[in-house]
Amino acid sequence: MVGTQWPIVVSLLARHLHAPNLTICYEGGVVLGRTPDRIPLFTGDPVINASSVMLGNSFDTLGMVLHGGKADMALLPAASVDRYGNINTTCIGDYASPKIRFGGSGGACDFGSLAPKTMIILEHDRKRFPEKVDFITTPGYLCGKESRSQAGLKPGTGPYAVVTTLGLFEFDEDGEMMLTAYHPTASVQEVRENVQWELKVHEDVKQLIPPSAKELEILRHRVDPLGMYLRNARSLEGVSLHIMAGS
Amino acid sequence: MSENRKLMSIREAIERYVNDGDVLYLGGFIQQEPFAAAHEIIRQGKRDLTLSKCAGMILADQMIGSGVIKHLITTFTWNPLPATAHCFVRALTSAVPQKIDVEEYSILALNLAYFAGSLDLPYIATKTLLGSGFDRERNKTGATNRLRFEKSPFTGERVCLIPPIKHDVGIIQVQRSDPYGNAQAWGMLGESRYGMQSCKKIIICAEEIVSSDVIMRDPNRTLVPAFRVSAVVEEPWGSHPSSMAGYYDMDWPYYACYERETRTEDRCEAFMKDWIYGVKDRKGYLELLGVKRLENLRPDVYMSGSVPYGRFTSHFRELNSNES
Repeated sequence: MVGTQWPIVVSLLARHLHAPNLTICYEGGVVLGRTPDRIPLFTGDPVINASSVMLGNSFDTLGMVLHGGKADMALLPAASVDRYGNINTTCIGDYASPKIRFGGSGGACDFGSLAPKTMIILEHDRKRFPEKVDFITTPGYLCGKESRSQAGLKPGTGPYAVVTTLGLFEFDEDGEMMLTAYHPTASVQEVRENVQWELKVHEDVKQLIPPSAKELEILRHRVDPLGMYLRNARSLEGVSLHIMAGS
Repeated sequence: MSENRKLMSIREAIERYVNDGDVLYLGGFIQQEPFAAAHEIIRQGKRDLTLSKCAGMILADQMIGSGVIKHLITTFTWNPLPATAHCFVRALTSAVPQKIDVEEYSILALNLAYFAGSLDLPYIATKTLLGSGFDRERNKTGATNRLRFEKSPFTGERVCLIPPIKHDVGIIQVQRSDPYGNAQAWGMLGESRYGMQSCKKIIICAEEIVSSDVIMRDPNRTLVPAFRVSAVVEEPWGSHPSSMAGYYDMDWPYYACYERETRTEDRCEAFMKDWIYGVKDRKGYLELLGVKRLENLRPDVYMSGSVPYGRFTSHFRELNSNES
């Protein structure tokens, strides 16, 4: 099950590299059949339609696949993620009178509630790593692994890894986020300074191997040649629109 | 009912079937959203609507910005660029142009609520939402929804109970319909099938009106059968700026422009004036967009093959001959 934004890029890259037979499902009822003619700008992009082996209802993917226990993994973006891997894409401040408001769950809560493994992918920014999120849009380990199963979620499910622009985080036996590797361009100290709690660091914390020339070549020339994500071209900034009345 | 009594303009359909205070379902999960109908609702100045729309998108944003709705049922509301849906955010953070209540679900949960509504079930049980901010027992901020969290009488495990959502009226934009309202849609359907079935009255907006023979040659593609439908509207390009599978792409620059032009309340009002209040109907809107712009949104032709359904006209012929 693939969420919107970076998960789209990551899942298509995986298909080009080590997982050519990966089955990609989106929340609207899509089972993808091949790499779309252009990289989808989000999981509802109509470019997906004629690249799918199935275009059904949300029940087909979120229901039969995910709730039915047939998905192996979920990939999700996040506005912010906390110490126990809980994701917030709803609001900053009190829910009833929010200071800042985001779009809301979409299918994210279903992904995080039901998938055996959830991988969370986001740009690293200290503001996006609070000790406790203001609103749990998508449950991680709540306040520890036990609390997740006490809430009724299936034991053995939950966040699997958090991948950021600084490093790779996994979860310890209590369900707490732990740094297990960092990018060569970052340091353990830099990662510590960029989360809002006392970060656990794995005793064998490793430096990640930088992407190979081949991986970068595929990412830049086959997955996202237009730079929709890699250069944020999808924001269409500076594109002349000519749609205002009278113009 | 004769066909002539169902075929009507969008203006007449909205006047007749959408009332102030209604619970209104608008179909189209991201793609094929009924923008023509939404703009007509705004133009007619309907009040106090509850809008039920699984993927809020900028269609919900425009309805919030124009002040026609007081309660929003949704799973997310944003501009897919991705960018903020400014009217939605203004309404929730500073009650501009007015305060709205939001009833939020996850996509699966809302699909289940519509399904329960379609079947007239008292509730439906699920394992999603448990432990999240929607789970009121665990989170003081609790979402303003109607969920309950109980133990299953069968297994003892904790489950979320979702009550049905039913709508007074629902509107969907589809590729084709016959004059009676046998409506066919394809593409990414999201929640549309169950959203529509949980509506008392249904308005079909179609890119094309076709004969019933076209419908009956491919009945698997029918989303809603005619006996459930109150009005049928021929409304080509009725989903712009969203897409219609096989007919037109999303108008991405429109989304970028909308994001920029709605950042402040004043600019937003000007945008609405130009694009909604300032045009008489969809025809006026399309003229404003221009033929060239619309033609650029057309996809390359890519047809599906046809499938055999088969008819049985010769079987049991011998029974007929015995009779005669």
